[in-house]
Amino acid sequence: MVTKRLLISLATSMMLALSVTSVAQNTETTDAAADSRSEFRSLDEDVQDLKKEVLDLNRDLFLLEEELLFPANSQVAFFISMDVGEYFEIDSVNLKIDGKEVANYLYTEREAGALVRGGVHRVHMANLKTGDHELIAVFTGSGPHTRDYRRGATMTFNKGIGAKYMELEITDRVKKQQPEFVIKEWE
Amino acid sequence: MKSRNILLGLALGVIAASSLASSDLTGQSAPDFALKSSGGENLRLSEYRGDVVMVNFWATWCGPCRQEMPLLDELYSRYQRVGFSLLGVNIDDNSSKAMDMVSELGVSFPVLFDSRKEVSKLYEVDAMPVTVIIDREGTIRYVHHGYKPGYEEKYLDQIRSLLRE
Repeated sequence: MVTKRLLISLATSMMLALSVTSVAQNTETTDAAADSRSEFRSLDEDVQDLKKEVLDLNRDLFLLEEELLFPANSQVAFFISMDVGEYFEIDSVNLKIDGKEVANYLYTEREAGALVRGGVHRVHMANLKTGDHELIAVFTGSGPHTRDYRRGATMTFNKGIGAKYMELEITDRVKKQQPEFVIKEWE
Repeated sequence: MKSRNILLGLALGVIAASSLASSDLTGQSAPDFALKSSGGENLRLSEYRGDVVMVNFWATWCGPCRQEMPLLDELYSRYQRVGFSLLGVNIDDNSSKAMDMVSELGVSFPVLFDSRKEVSKLYEVDAMPVTVIIDREGTIRYVHHGYKPGYEEKYLDQIRSLLRE
């Protein structure tokens, strides 16, 4: 009888122990699921981040490729034109891009005459990378009353993708009886 | 043996003469340039296309240049009306010295100032004087380095033959 009781109590205790273990196991499973969920989430975030980085890199590569493969698009041309030219007789033009001298052109009498008659002279052609650049143009010649005249014009321009054309125009300012030097971008 | 020596001497003479008158630039299109002249205006080489042009590089410190310039001026005065132009390119840093020398020698051909030495670099000027003769098409036909009495005869022959072309 005693042995029978003992056996029952043993069985009960074993069952109890088993049930406790199963509860514990259940709790562990829930924790693991939560962990794996958060792990998935962080992995998903990582994948998204990576994807974004790949897209960014792809964009940068595309832009770089475009800049490298289409050098004609990096061209910037500078033209000199003159309107009327009553107050200024051009002698030379000096161009500096980002502080570096790129052109120093002396005009002969014949060339200056061609400008006055409406000719446009391409004084310089450069290959520039995209971004902001500073152009300094210094014009020398004879001004009103055939006095030596030296004037500068500065402009910061943005070089995007695609060729760019800049015109350095010399016009007469009748009111002031002085020449005027204007730099403008061709659209 | 004697005739062999004569032949050797002759061959050396021919080599020396050809090295004197030839240069890497011979046969090439003359690089264009524009410089300020003694008259105040800017002169551009390409505007002389159609003329036989002599470009003479000189400096005030160069003795042979002083000797050569009046002779070149004679050539200029004689052939100017039949399509010959002469441009004297001075390479001194100070153009006023050159002006003094020009007025002292009384030369009439245009003198240009290459104080930045850009044109002398273009024409690979490695001696003083250097005389370049360009044909009507703008091709460099003869380059002479230095000057020795008698060179003017050579210049005369070359100019006359180019004017006849």
